[in-house]
Amino acid sequence: MTEPALAHIDLSGVGKAFRIGTQTVPVFSGLDLSIAAGDFVAIMGPSGSGKSTLLNMLAGIDSPDSGTLRIGASRLDQMGEGARAAWRAHNMGIVFQFYNLLPMLTAAENIELPLLLKPLSARERRLRVDKVLELVGLNGRGKQYPALMSGGQQQRVGIARAIVTDPGLLLCDEPTGDLDRQSADEALSMLGFLNRELGKTIVMVTHDPQAAGHAKRTLHLDKGHFIEETRAA
Amino acid sequence: MTFFDLSRKNAWRKPLRTVLLVVSIAVAFLIYGLTASFLAGSQGTAGASDDILGVTSASGRGQPLPMSLLARIGALPDVAALSYYTRLRGFVGTEKNVVAVSATDIERLLPVSGQELGLTPALIDAIRPARDRVLVGRALADAQGWAVGQRVAVTAFDLPRDDGSRDWRFEIAGIFEGQSASTDTYFMIARYDYVNAARARGKDSVDGFALRPHSGISPSTLAAKVDALFANSATPTRTQSERQFLEAFLRQYADIGLIVNLVVGASFITLLMIVINTMVFAVRERTFEIGVLKTLGFSRGAVMALVLAETLFVFALGGAMGLGLAKLATVLVGSQLGLVFSLPVLGKGLAILLAVSLATGLLPAINAMRTPVATAFRTR
Repeated sequence: MTEPALAHIDLSGVGKAFRIGTQTVPVFSGLDLSIAAGDFVAIMGPSGSGKSTLLNMLAGIDSPDSGTLRIGASRLDQMGEGARAAWRAHNMGIVFQFYNLLPMLTAAENIELPLLLKPLSARERRLRVDKVLELVGLNGRGKQYPALMSGGQQQRVGIARAIVTDPGLLLCDEPTGDLDRQSADEALSMLGFLNRELGKTIVMVTHDPQAAGHAKRTLHLDKGHFIEETRAA
Repeated sequence: MTFFDLSRKNAWRKPLRTVLLVVSIAVAFLIYGLTASFLAGSQGTAGASDDILGVTSASGRGQPLPMSLLARIGALPDVAALSYYTRLRGFVGTEKNVVAVSATDIERLLPVSGQELGLTPALIDAIRPARDRVLVGRALADAQGWAVGQRVAVTAFDLPRDDGSRDWRFEIAGIFEGQSASTDTYFMIARYDYVNAARARGKDSVDGFALRPHSGISPSTLAAKVDALFANSATPTRTQSERQFLEAFLRQYADIGLIVNLVVGASFITLLMIVINTMVFAVRERTFEIGVLKTLGFSRGAVMALVLAETLFVFALGGAMGLGLAKLATVLVGSQLGLVFSLPVLGKGLAILLAVSLATGLLPAINAMRTPVATAFRTR
């Protein structure tokens, strides 16, 4: 793997509200957050606290109504949808709760998907896929379809897809929410490895305190505000 | 895996649905291929010439003209070659098996349309020795299974012999091929002297004259001159090009071109609605996955291109099948039915394929392109 780009995250005075019918429901107002490059942060909080909205904004899926959102050298709050898509393709990987693998593609093809957006030859793409398959412990399973894999294996494919472009930032949305304890621990160990050994900045939204225990620090979000921060011992 | 592989795999996600779509597209392009081949073939007017003029009675093509007109038409300085003919329509075996015989002077026919019909010196030599000899067109010979040397009997519908019989017996002296696949060769050429001598009535009359103007002479100008020559006579004439003649002949039954366009248009509009409907549903079923692709960094344009490529793939499969079957049909029965699957037919088919597939894919592609990621994720 090449040296990942530094992904310092900086939110300043971010505001976000959703319009439901005629009503406006505020989610954040003046939210500040700073995550250093190479950090591993868990975000916990009750349902409706704004965890998913925050993750969506960090992923460039949603944009803030006000304030600034800077990741590395990029101002996501100033980007249009097309620019944010291009930014995601090059700077970020995302791991979903339900893996979100495409059922008609093999594990290797699912992992290869983000590489289709890069100017790489078929051979280069295959080499990268093989490398991450090995990294997540799925050597030789590249030709299997997701339906024939366990939840833990599918999540490892999901992680491999997230890191195959070698992004500096990994966003994880309840990555262990659909896994048994053993598979969850394996997935979390892998995220820990990616953070420690490869320097990935990881932001993980979770309900699971054990999962949050793998992070370097945990931020507790409630009603759109960070109310507590705990650091790993 | 390539971008196109991704589209292809999306298309095959529900194989039965895709197969049904491909079959319906194949049927539409088969209809197009056959009708366009029909128009391009000898049943249409594509093979007819603008340079060869036909002179018939102004009272109707069924009315005979006296042979004496030959000398007066031939005396016009703009006429390069002139021949005459009498049509003998009849059947072989059963009444449904209709054949046409054109009785003419082969020596005169040669400079008028010998090249178009593919008449060779060997064929001319073959018909000379006996008056009952005929040259048979390739399409007719293939359809009837006739060979050189065979004797055939044609029962005339309206040209009895002077012995009261309606059976005309001929010996096949040769087979002419036609200059191109679109040349009408579903008829035979008999000797006028044989038919004229043996027929019960109308001796020394002809059904029409065929002439070719000198190069540089406008066929329409010459046509007007010929008709002016007999305008105030007992036998006024109507002179048209071969193409005009054939078009007018076909229009006696119907406007074939209009019918073909209506049939093809109706089948394509129906197809368009079916495929648009199916594709919209197919893409809507995958809204969540489109959200996933966008999250991975696929741009709006890339998502749109994926859906368009998927539609194009389905159309390419169906179109290739349909056009392939149409080509196969023209190879197997083209000569009997006058079907010609020419390059322009193929080119127009491919252009229609591209245009219809893009038109069909546009709506689902725009829907997919415009779906916000957050909205897509809410569809699970």
